[in-house]
Amino acid sequence: MSRPLRLNVGLAAAGVALILILRLIDNDYAWYTGYVILQYVLLAVAWNILAGYSGYVNFGTAAFFAAGAYTTILLTKALNLDLLVCVLAAGLVSGALGLGMGWLTLRLRGVYFSIATLSLAVVLQTLVVNWPYAGGSSGAYTMRPQGYAVFGNYSEFLFVLMLVLALGGIAVAAGIERSRLGLGLATIRDDERAAAAAGVPTLRLKLIATAISGGMMGMAGAPLPYYASYLNPEAAFSLTHTINAMAMTLIGGTQGWVGPVIGATLLSTLQQGATVTISSAGNLLIVGGVLILFVMLAPKGILGLIRAWRGRGDTA
Amino acid sequence: MNGRMTRRGFGLLATAAAVSAAAGRGVAQAPAGEPIRIGFSMPLSGALAGNGRPALLAQQVWAEDINARGGLLGRSVKLVFYDDQSNGANVPGIYTKLLDVDKVDLVISSYGTALIAPAMPVIIRRGMAFVSLLGSSTNEMFKYGGTANISPVGRRMNVDFAKGFFEIARGLNPTPATLSIAGLDSDFSNRAMESARWQAREHGIRVVYDRAYPPSTVDFSPIVRAIRSAAPDLVFFASYPPDSVGLLKAAGELKLTAKMLGGGMVGPQVTAIKAQLGAQLNNLVCWDVYAPEPTMTFPGTAAFLDRYRAAAEAKGAETLGLYAPPLAYAQMQVLEQAVTRAGSLDQAAIGAALHREAFPTIIGELRFDQTGEWVEERNIYIQYQGVTGNDLAQFKQPGTQVILYPPQYRSGQLRPGFPAA
Repeated sequence: MSRPLRLNVGLAAAGVALILILRLIDNDYAWYTGYVILQYVLLAVAWNILAGYSGYVNFGTAAFFAAGAYTTILLTKALNLDLLVCVLAAGLVSGALGLGMGWLTLRLRGVYFSIATLSLAVVLQTLVVNWPYAGGSSGAYTMRPQGYAVFGNYSEFLFVLMLVLALGGIAVAAGIERSRLGLGLATIRDDERAAAAAGVPTLRLKLIATAISGGMMGMAGAPLPYYASYLNPEAAFSLTHTINAMAMTLIGGTQGWVGPVIGATLLSTLQQGATVTISSAGNLLIVGGVLILFVMLAPKGILGLIRAWRGRGDTA
Repeated sequence: MNGRMTRRGFGLLATAAAVSAAAGRGVAQAPAGEPIRIGFSMPLSGALAGNGRPALLAQQVWAEDINARGGLLGRSVKLVFYDDQSNGANVPGIYTKLLDVDKVDLVISSYGTALIAPAMPVIIRRGMAFVSLLGSSTNEMFKYGGTANISPVGRRMNVDFAKGFFEIARGLNPTPATLSIAGLDSDFSNRAMESARWQAREHGIRVVYDRAYPPSTVDFSPIVRAIRSAAPDLVFFASYPPDSVGLLKAAGELKLTAKMLGGGMVGPQVTAIKAQLGAQLNNLVCWDVYAPEPTMTFPGTAAFLDRYRAAAEAKGAETLGLYAPPLAYAQMQVLEQAVTRAGSLDQAAIGAALHREAFPTIIGELRFDQTGEWVEERNIYIQYQGVTGNDLAQFKQPGTQVILYPPQYRSGQLRPGFPAA
């Protein structure tokens, strides 16, 4: 069995195992919590495709995420389309948005690129606020059915959908890492001028990465209107999505797809736990506190720590 | 408990509610058995925490009161609550945790539409009775039968909300002919502005300026300058706390004058803003939910405010307690009475009880229609009068927030003109 096939089979098996475990727990809360954790896994993995692989730090996560959510709201309202179709459409819309944003901004580097991506969220939010059909500033309601196909419980369906999206996202990220695209992006991250001089089509590769990353973020946001039932622009475009996706990836490590998965699972679980235990403003400090700790003690994240530890073991 | 309540029965219940709120920790038979657990989320951090924290304190005062009175259905009451961080995305998870893991017996809502609506699918799926706090027609979409909303704006906010402002303005001499409207581009404010337009049409008042500003606005001088240029008789603002401060400061700096200024401003009700603006509030005619005027005293109100203020003082919370706290206490009283009338924790029976009869509370008698909104809206318009300095104690006294509308609570006369002479 080839390595990619092994990985995909492993991911599928992990997904099935997770569903079976949660079915045994038989608790709605598990579906809801699992959904949120997986949503952040997908966002972190998607963010890492551009930032980790090519070194371009994207502050526009909330914009792509919200574009996906509002695609669902609009398609549901206009055509009453099924959520699965909305998810695919959200991927296309956010992917196209990523492509457009990349085309406009990818000639910028470093902090200038980051500022440009941040402004995308502001522009889109202003558009939504002034678009009454999308709910405008008042927000939009989405009525959630009681069940879906074989799922008697819609929460379980949403969890399984997000699980499939997250595992798919991981498979895509792992695939990119090993592909010519991944190698090209790595050369851009290391030295873009040298890569261009060596014949790497840097702009084209960056555009592909931005489109894939944006598309995945949009798909992560697409089920949100059904999860929350009510969505307003402040919630959809919240900077929290951006900060969390970045912090989770930086804590896990940006060197590969495993880092964001570890970071998102760890931090998101911690946040979910803190919400129902500490339950005060204190839980807001978690992301910042953990991030500061990692920046100071382990700037390459958990993956970096593991590699350093392994390296020490090899030399001993 | 299927029959309609008799007048005598209602009187007894009203007296019991009044006595219970007034008695506070009066002596009663000690509750027995497992406590009844009431679950909810509340914004204890984030943008809505300024109202969420006082609301929680009022609910805790109610829990102490009812436990001192022998509990609910003879069992003590325990509140199980989590901070939703003013983030609607946290709400569905919290309510499933409350119902599935904490196994609460009853649920109530968080504060405001954005935090009530995300809980609704979970509530509807479990068929729970649900008393919400200051939602804005949240149930219009869900059409769920087992809910009641503690919000005085009523079912037709888009029409009725600004009625009081225009009724008061009608008493001006000469009758006002022009109006400026400015407000935040948000759900509540948009509905308030829509109501102002509707009322202006009804009263034959010409709108000479009408703008919504985005939530990111920090400089209100251009808006106030434009209004000043239009020179309207009336100025109707529909703003949230930071904007209310910004608009009033800009109005003061740019010397904006009008025959009457105010409207649907959320902010002056907040203790910190009262302290900040002080005398600048004089002659402002503003929407409110409660004012400590002699015409608006209901059985138990004064006792509650004393208890709340003592608790707030001890906990370092906001100490006036005139906005969210009385409503939050009333929310718990409605739940209490619905459970008592149902005689059990059966959710369908409690849900049905929410719509059957009137509920005597510390904010007056409440009656809910089938959508859970108040049968009769009760938007109050007050005018700040005689405010001196920034001392908060003056806002506890009658005469500072004079009620001008509705007529049954009217406690003084309009002082025309803004700013105050």
